[in-house]
Amino acid sequence: MGSRSEEYAAAPPAELLLSLRNGKAALHARHSALPLRDKVRLVIELQRIVLPLIERQRALQWWERPWSIEP
Amino acid sequence: MPATTMAFADALRAVNALKAEGVIDDYAVAGAMAIVFWAEPVPTFDLDVLVLLPRQEGVLISLDDIYRWAGSRGYAAQEEHVIVEGLPVQFVPAPDALALETISAAAELDYDGVPVRVARPEYLIALYLQPGARTAKRRERAAMLLELPNLNRARLDDILNRYGLSF
Repeated sequence: MGSRSEEYAAAPPAELLLSLRNGKAALHARHSALPLRDKVRLVIELQRIVLPLIERQRALQWWERPWSIEP
Repeated sequence: MPATTMAFADALRAVNALKAEGVIDDYAVAGAMAIVFWAEPVPTFDLDVLVLLPRQEGVLISLDDIYRWAGSRGYAAQEEHVIVEGLPVQFVPAPDALALETISAAAELDYDGVPVRVARPEYLIALYLQPGARTAKRRERAAMLLELPNLNRARLDDILNRYGLSF
């Protein structure tokens, strides 16, 4: 098992972390700039993704369902 | 025969009709769907609509007129939501001066040719920072809005100062 200092030595370089942070910020910016219909489409996709996760933590409210609508 | 598909724009048209028919005086989309208009999509299952109701007799604010309107259009109402064109909508009577100002200062945006009044991000942040509303999720959303490149910082500071709010 590696020592604590070896773990630090294996930490990702600052440039990589910066690049990942910048990439994430760029993704947020791209999503923010989407046309509204595409954003609503993404909301519906997110609903389908998060619903099972919420359901594992608590009972769902009757209205917590993915929307059956066109964006 | 193909099934009729409801669309998000239809729900917005219905909310506009609520105002046009005088059931409410004005409104602003608030909550997570308002964030979607200004920033990136966030998961949510309902549409929050802050409403300014016409002056009513008595002390207690009543949503009866909204529920009657919903019933006349065949929209089901259950507990605190009305299903408007397939979308669970929560109509929230403006509870205080900040909410009233949020409605009057709302931006009129366009969704697929449908005008829609949306609470401005500076007001959404202020609403999230109100003492009774400060959950971890809401603080996170306020922080997200704070990073918007086109946020009007002077407007936000003014609102926070006037209503005694802070991060």
